[in-house]
Amino acid sequence: MSAASWAVGRQGPSSGGPREAATWDRRQVIATELRAVRGRSYPRIAGMFREPSWIFFEILLPFLTTSAFVFVYRALQAPPEYVGFVVLGGVMIAFWLNVVWLMAGQLYWEKDQGNLELYFAAPMDMMSVLFGMAFGGLIMSSTRAAVVLVVASVLYDVVFNVQQWLLLGGVFLLTLFALYGLGMVLASLFLLWGREVWHLNQLLQEPVYFVSGVNFPVNRLGLLGALAVATLPLAVGLDAMRQLAFAGQAAATAFLPPEAEAVLLVVMVGAFLILARVMLRLMERLARREGRLTVRGR
Amino acid sequence: MSASPSAAPLSLGSPSLGAAGRFGRTPLIAHWRAFATAARLGWLMEANWTDPFLFFVYSVAKPLAATLILVLMVLVIGGASSAEFRAFVVVGSALWSFVVGGIAGLAWSILDDRERYRMLKYLYVSSSAFAVVLIGRGTARVAIGAVGALVTLTVGVGFLGVRLDPGRIDWLLLVGSMAFGLVAILALGVLLASVILQTRQESWSYPEAVAGALFLIVGAVFPLSVLPPVVQAVGLAMPLTWWLAGVRQALFPGSISSVGGPGSLFAQLSGHASPQSGEILVALLVTAAVVTLGSGVAFRAAQRRVMQKGLIDLTTGS
Repeated sequence: MSAASWAVGRQGPSSGGPREAATWDRRQVIATELRAVRGRSYPRIAGMFREPSWIFFEILLPFLTTSAFVFVYRALQAPPEYVGFVVLGGVMIAFWLNVVWLMAGQLYWEKDQGNLELYFAAPMDMMSVLFGMAFGGLIMSSTRAAVVLVVASVLYDVVFNVQQWLLLGGVFLLTLFALYGLGMVLASLFLLWGREVWHLNQLLQEPVYFVSGVNFPVNRLGLLGALAVATLPLAVGLDAMRQLAFAGQAAATAFLPPEAEAVLLVVMVGAFLILARVMLRLMERLARREGRLTVRGR
Repeated sequence: MSASPSAAPLSLGSPSLGAAGRFGRTPLIAHWRAFATAARLGWLMEANWTDPFLFFVYSVAKPLAATLILVLMVLVIGGASSAEFRAFVVVGSALWSFVVGGIAGLAWSILDDRERYRMLKYLYVSSSAFAVVLIGRGTARVAIGAVGALVTLTVGVGFLGVRLDPGRIDWLLLVGSMAFGLVAILALGVLLASVILQTRQESWSYPEAVAGALFLIVGAVFPLSVLPPVVQAVGLAMPLTWWLAGVRQALFPGSISSVGGPGSLFAQLSGHASPQSGEILVALLVTAAVVTLGSGVAFRAAQRRVMQKGLIDLTTGS
């Protein structure tokens, strides 16, 4: 299948104008939504191959950032598992950055670029657009995360001790679903805002890394850490994954057992997806009423 | 009235040279006006989206959180050198606000003007020198970074146990290091701007990635001596390394050296453990000059390429 046809799909039974779209049956609706997901994820995946500079700037350089924290622990002569904590943190930061910049802020950028009104005019659900963005972004950030995990583990002699592979895989996937669910909620929320989005995105980096314990055990933050574990998928996911990836070494610094944190993540996934749908409708209505859907550069 | 025969003929020279290309040599005052206007514009764009208090909170939250991450890492591990190392990381991460601001300011101003406001082509063909406008815009972010650095240092001294004695500050070293260091930071910003001129919209994350990578090799939050010798050598060639070492030595004379120390490459090469003030300033001057010249060459090459390939107003999306 060619790139172009992958992006837009074949003209199937669901083609036609909005008037025709109103009479579509369920099969046609689902087919169109799936095409919307595929079409929105396409530029992110294709973009990876068309702009090779991202390999240097988004894989190699962030790996060096993670390495800096590894060397801080080495300078402090910390126990080896702390280096592993940093590496896991570096892996999850790849996904978090993708959520913040390419999910949360995306509808705002689309508004600035003039694409947003096209999305709303197209016969599809905006949730499909968000799913497409999430899927494409997930592919992009998985590449970076994999490189950080493999290269850093080899280079810095990180020894994983995994006894519950299934639970570790489950927690990892649940963390990703929850992260991208949160990204969808934020994308809806940011739809109403103007230039605040940019600054809020900035605020969602180091301060969130701090409260989520990306480079140190989150339980050291006491109540603040507990709040983070209860609300931020990054915090609870990392806490659980550390316990599962370094069995016996991280349990003493954990908040809750990994099974309990997995349940918490399931709740987060459901809550964020429902909230994203509600917020999207609410924000769209508000944005339409206040005439902000097509206002650019503010 | 006819034009004076002695006047230079009006022709469309390279817009990259600004007024110089079209009307002869640009007076310094015109460059200054362009710089001041761009800096003011940059400041307004950064600051007028909210009220001053919220702007202040947003400006300091990031550097403060970055510092707290490192302080927590030090506290978690503890050890005998904990207090001294805490001061080391507080100063390093506070100063890093300048680097992030300087590097990101120039790069983001290109992306802002090209992708969001669609104004880059108009700036490019305006009578002001393009590089001067960019540096002006970047300076506004450096100023915001300075606020973040100052607040972080204040919090470090007030709440994180960093002991600063104003009577012991080496003002000459401090002023010299800051002056050369800021020039080097802006030069690095121009270097990255040269890349961003040619890349796509997703380059928003590039400045932070570059700053993060530099974080590893310049002794920002740990002494270079823990790195392999080859990486130490790369670090010693960076002006930021000497800038950080200079400011640290000026503020906390006799504290842990980010450049020297037992087993460091500097100690092996120089024969003494830590660099003296004069050595730091000379090394900073030389490395900053090399980076500044290199960034000028790279910027001119980038301008030629974007004009040839028609990238100056090319917007992208993903």
